Amino acid sequence: MTIADYLPILMMLVVGALFGGVSMFVSKFLAPRRPTRTKLEPYECGIVADKEPPERFPVRFYMVAMLFILFDIEIVFMYPWAVAYGRLGVFGFVEMAVFLLILLGAYAYIWREGVLDWAPRRALLVGSRSASEPDAAHEAEKAA
Amino acid sequence: MTGPHDGWWVLGSALKVVILFAATLILVMALVYIERKVVAFMQVRIGPNQAGPKGILQTLADGIKLFFKEPVTPRAVDRPIYILAPLLSLIPMFLVVAIIPFGNSITINGREIFLQGTDLNIGILFFLAMSSIGVYGITLAGWASGSKYPLIGGIRASAQMISYETCMGLALIPAVMTTGTLSMRGMVEAQSGTWLGFVPRWTGLVQVIPMLAFFICAIAETNRPPFDLVEAETELVGGFHTEYSGIRFAIFYLAEFANMFTISAIAVTVFLGGWNGPGFSFLPWLWPLLWFFAKTGVLVFIFMWIRASLPRFRYDQLMSLGWKRLIPVLLVWLLLSSGIQAWINEASNHVAGG
Repeated sequence: MTIADYLPILMMLVVGALFGGVSMFVSKFLAPRRPTRTKLEPYECGIVADKEPPERFPVRFYMVAMLFILFDIEIVFMYPWAVAYGRLGVFGFVEMAVFLLILLGAYAYIWREGVLDWAPRRALLVGSRSASEPDAAHEAEKAA
Repeated sequence: MTGPHDGWWVLGSALKVVILFAATLILVMALVYIERKVVAFMQVRIGPNQAGPKGILQTLADGIKLFFKEPVTPRAVDRPIYILAPLLSLIPMFLVVAIIPFGNSITINGREIFLQGTDLNIGILFFLAMSSIGVYGITLAGWASGSKYPLIGGIRASAQMISYETCMGLALIPAVMTTGTLSMRGMVEAQSGTWLGFVPRWTGLVQVIPMLAFFICAIAETNRPPFDLVEAETELVGGFHTEYSGIRFAIFYLAEFANMFTISAIAVTVFLGGWNGPGFSFLPWLWPLLWFFAKTGVLVFIFMWIRASLPRFRYDQLMSLGWKRLIPVLLVWLLLSSGIQAWINEASNHVAGG
């Protein structure tokens, strides 16, 4: 296993980039180009947009990104352990069990704090209640 | 490929890369046609039947048409990134193709040539890395378009894909643990042979839950229905590729379909025994190749079947499936399966030791 094993990867990179680049470039000469002012407007289902796209979006997306970084790093730590697992024996298991229990503890904490909820907790509760209420009313009606 | 790294080796590698590249393009054309036919069949329609016999040239016709279409560049785009984004989703796909073990090996002139672009010793990590880079293509496409729907699509895409990438990483760990290697070829070799003489030693038969989780993640990672919120037509027009037209759109489309194939191929390699299967002494290199494509074909068909059957998820359901179901299940499974494995190892050591 040497660095030479990456040569085919490099070749594939070149071939792929050439394919994409060349087809875009050639299409430039083959395809018509008749821009008009309306055609170049950002898409808005046929009407002229009166607002720019928003620069801000919900903070939850940032939270997901932060959680991803944390979890992904922990997962990358597990790969060398998994490869060597056959040789590590019980010691390897105990080590990883401690690591995983700490991770699960942190996971339970972020769950309880509501980081994993995709809507404010109140909205989720309201949503589930309004979904179940008609049902309950219906049941009561039936019983009566 | 074994043997010295000489001029023949470089030439052979170059040849393999060119073959893989061409095969990928042809395969994608076939896949687009097959998917349209399969979905049409499931929806009691006829599907494409005009271009060529039974419509098999339909994809080629569509490709040529897209090639000659005007690629509109809206005024609000961030031009360099807007042009770069399709390439960023195309190139990682090709790089993953280079590490897939399609078959065992073929001997030409006394030289054993592996039917694989290259066998990296960190194959599976390379795959994870490439699928991470694929996220950039879609996210940057949405961001650089300077338009509302692509922006929302791109942000959704990044959150969805990184969430499911976490699950995917977790689902692959038990498989690495069972086979004890990260190399794609090594994984396939570790799954050769049988238990009790007839049950194939596939990782997926031991690590059932990681296999199922991996498949769910695979669908989410390739943005296929029912997880195609990234390009949900009813709410986001076209999602991240709304502002892309002509050849640039074709490149995204190509990458999406090829990803469906590569991820199925990875699933087959890691969980379903890769090219292992009964073979005959007649043309010994052909059977592994056939087994590989048969298994991958079944998975690809399941992708299409799911697309035709299931309605689209809601975004909060999608995120809670990833973070609140798959991750805890996989963490606990990892703990359990490593414990059981340590116990088995320990028991067999005692037996072996006396």
